[in-house]
Amino acid sequence: MKSIKNHLMFILPLVAILLGVQFFLIFERLANAYEEKLKNSYTILAVSENELTTKDFKAMNSNIASSTKVEKKEILKEISVGQTPEDVEEILKSLPNFYNIKLAKYLDTEDINKLKKQLIASGKVKKVETFEGSYTSNYKLFKFIKFILNLFILFMGIVSLFLVIKQMEVWGYIHRERMQVMEIFGAPLMLRSGILFRVAFLDAIVSTLIIVSVFLFFSYYGIDVGGIDIVEQNNKLLFLPFDGAILFSSALLMVIISVYSVVTSSKEKDI
Amino acid sequence: MPNVVEARDLSLSYEKGHTVIEKANFNIRKGEFVFITGPSGSGKSTLLKSMYGSIKPTFGLLKVGELDLNTVSTSNLQELRTHLGIVFQDYKLVNEWTVAKNVALPLMIAGYSMDLQQTQVQRLLKHVKLGDYANRYPFELSGGEQQRVGVARALAKNPMMILADEPTGNLDDYSSNVIWDLLENACVQLQTTVVVVTHKIPMVFSLPYRHLILENKGVYEVH
Repeated sequence: MKSIKNHLMFILPLVAILLGVQFFLIFERLANAYEEKLKNSYTILAVSENELTTKDFKAMNSNIASSTKVEKKEILKEISVGQTPEDVEEILKSLPNFYNIKLAKYLDTEDINKLKKQLIASGKVKKVETFEGSYTSNYKLFKFIKFILNLFILFMGIVSLFLVIKQMEVWGYIHRERMQVMEIFGAPLMLRSGILFRVAFLDAIVSTLIIVSVFLFFSYYGIDVGGIDIVEQNNKLLFLPFDGAILFSSALLMVIISVYSVVTSSKEKDI
Repeated sequence: MPNVVEARDLSLSYEKGHTVIEKANFNIRKGEFVFITGPSGSGKSTLLKSMYGSIKPTFGLLKVGELDLNTVSTSNLQELRTHLGIVFQDYKLVNEWTVAKNVALPLMIAGYSMDLQQTQVQRLLKHVKLGDYANRYPFELSGGEQQRVGVARALAKNPMMILADEPTGNLDDYSSNVIWDLLENACVQLQTTVVVVTHKIPMVFSLPYRHLILENKGVYEVH
């Protein structure tokens, strides 16, 4: 019973820290997915007198990924209804070139305005129009939630760290005498800390398994987050195989630092 | 006989910087039985601790075996300690380990196989008359029995020197005599150097011994 309590005293804060790490990873991925979606749904239309290529557009602003020319005939279809062929021919001659521009990455409103100015300032583009969906306002809310969550993770991490330090004191109390006696009889550091390392290593494995199981479950069976489509559409982003390695490495790092601190503070000088 | 301990102008301090031994000179040779006595606070335990490298000299030379303890590296100190047997007044047994595991500690550190450890531990426990106590825990034993486990642990690897700090300080006369017998036997049968810090040299002690006394920060030989 006492042993289980000792394990739990380290497992619980470790689980909280790993939960923070996993939340951070998830929100980074969701933010990337959201930005990708925004980037793809963002429409920029550029109007030019002369023919331009993607290379020309990229030279004007490096955030432009590609440009597609809108066929004039397609535009004419819409505006030539009821016109004579001569008039249509005239309109075709006077029509400028229209280009659909795709971005290389998501840009915020400030960057979009900058891009517009740069295109106009090049002298090759006469007019630029942007058609943004309702995403931008949602994105701002998402960014705000992400910021709040990161703050919460930080706070949770600090509290958990104090709990880990408390557990390190308990470890020191339980293991100090044995480690000091072993040191006096010439045991090297690895042998002295072996038992403590085994205990803490087991806790690291258990903590990692708990977090991995929970997020694997959510990833496979979905999660009801009240209509937040970016989460519901990206269930797979809740857990990627590489997360397991990141979580275990984080737990292992915590274990190594904690155990090493206990071992080095349990020197024989008090004996 | 070669020197096992050599001290030249040796000065030792507590951590606070309070000097307890100043410019002491003495040698301890292989196979000798040495008592170190002196009033409380004279630095007996500090001197003993310095011999296993727990306290560094503040001045002078202190050699144990071939090692200068002023400049010894951590790994060399660890190696030296595997050749020493240390006995404490408060036994310093690991309470969550069985008697057998406590005795096996120096063998475990030296990397002996489990079979060899078991054979050696059984032999040692019989030697200290605790043959049936292998699976007991230290807290189940009396003080005298615990100290016999402590001596068995100190003898486990046939050390070149046993350092004992008030080994009978907490024991009754009977248990004290058992401990003295065990230490005498180690000195005679194994040619192990034995250095004992004590308040009082036992009345009945059959072995020839040397007596170093600590007084006024010096170490003097009593003839």
